[in-house]
Amino acid sequence: MLEALTALVTETVADAAGEWDVAGEIPAGVLRGLGAKGVLCAEAAPEFGGLGLSGTDNGALTAHTGTLCSSLRSVMTSQGMAAWTIQRFGDPAQRARHIGRLTGGDLAAVAFSEPGAGSDLAAMTTEIRREGGGIVVDGTKTWITVAGYADLIVVFGRHGSGGAVALVPASAPGVRVTRVPEPLGCRAAGHATVVLDHVRLPEENLLAVAGQPLAMLTTIALTYGRLSVAWGCVGILRACLTAVARHAAQREQFGKPLLRHQLVARHLAELYAAERTATFACERASRSWDSGSPEQVPASVLAKHVAAGNAARGAASAVQVLASAGAAGGHVVERAYRDAKLMEVIEGSNEICQLMLAEHAASSAR
Amino acid sequence: MTDSTTELPVAAIEQRIGAFLAAKTKLTWEPEEDLFTSGAVSSLFAMELVVFVESTFQVAVEGPDLAMDNFRTVRAMSSLVTRLRSGGDGA
Repeated sequence: MLEALTALVTETVADAAGEWDVAGEIPAGVLRGLGAKGVLCAEAAPEFGGLGLSGTDNGALTAHTGTLCSSLRSVMTSQGMAAWTIQRFGDPAQRARHIGRLTGGDLAAVAFSEPGAGSDLAAMTTEIRREGGGIVVDGTKTWITVAGYADLIVVFGRHGSGGAVALVPASAPGVRVTRVPEPLGCRAAGHATVVLDHVRLPEENLLAVAGQPLAMLTTIALTYGRLSVAWGCVGILRACLTAVARHAAQREQFGKPLLRHQLVARHLAELYAAERTATFACERASRSWDSGSPEQVPASVLAKHVAAGNAARGAASAVQVLASAGAAGGHVVERAYRDAKLMEVIEGSNEICQLMLAEHAASSAR
Repeated sequence: MTDSTTELPVAAIEQRIGAFLAAKTKLTWEPEEDLFTSGAVSSLFAMELVVFVESTFQVAVEGPDLAMDNFRTVRAMSSLVTRLRSGGDGA
């Protein structure tokens, strides 16, 4: 099954990734087509119309997609995290209904960050409250990946003294979605600001977990997102590695291939090491995810941290080696350079990952 | 998911939870001692606890069962496990 899915992604993207990046848009039909085949949230269970892939196989699919197009991979991360959030926090009826939509062609965004709550997610002020037999959602979410395409926005917010998650249809009265103009990276991933102005929804749209601490809710949801982003960074590294290896073998300067120039060879060696170590960190995390080991939690943070840093450094060195050959808008290494930098910022910035890893290391050594 | 053929006594459940906590925190926990007010538990570790309970006792902790109060003490976790293993949904 994995092989058929990677072939489907290859065939769907074909040579369009550069064009999508420059246009800032992936055709909606492409996204819905992949969504309806279950590819965008491939771990969703067959009982909900999903493909039931293991975390390890979904990681391989995510990396493959990231090799071709980080914008599409971002859509995959978002859709997968939405499905996981509903699986984890919803009751059986909510799971059947809403995960079923996500495997049926509807697109989903997950909304955490706000103007005053980025790394400090506990500072979010979006309010989800019960009122008149239903719920009301009020707040502003910024830089929400996929929101520009989404049918469903999975909104995290405050609920009494804890937190809650509301499923907000993008078409609901009071929802305003405004695209981020020309994002630095993953330009076709539909980043947008979402204003929620007194959005009234039925009680059924409040996931069953309501009232638990916000930090617990965001940690559980983001563990999926971090591992997915980490695999996406492996994809970026593989694309850069291929581009650099080919270019360094073919291009000649000073009478010999670039590869025979030691300073260039070092770039290739470091890129190879970066791709391998990121892959190993991701494989380790996905295996612990699949086996249900508690190690999956710190291992996902570690994988994200290692892979994002490696991708940012690796993409920069790829641009260095390809130079003018890779510097035109939409080129695979030019995209990688911008996309990878964004990966050091999202789903827990480098610094937030470092704080979590430091805390984990300190408690393990006590 | 519930393996109702195996009855696990509360003492055995609490012993396993206690061993996990001791290995992770290097501290000994009384059955009713609050893990979260102690400052020894981060939100990452809270999720580790959820995954530990699920994989060790073969239960799925989802929806309202994810309540922090179910993970606040060794006793609370063992009650959750006993309830989920008996197929109850009294959340």
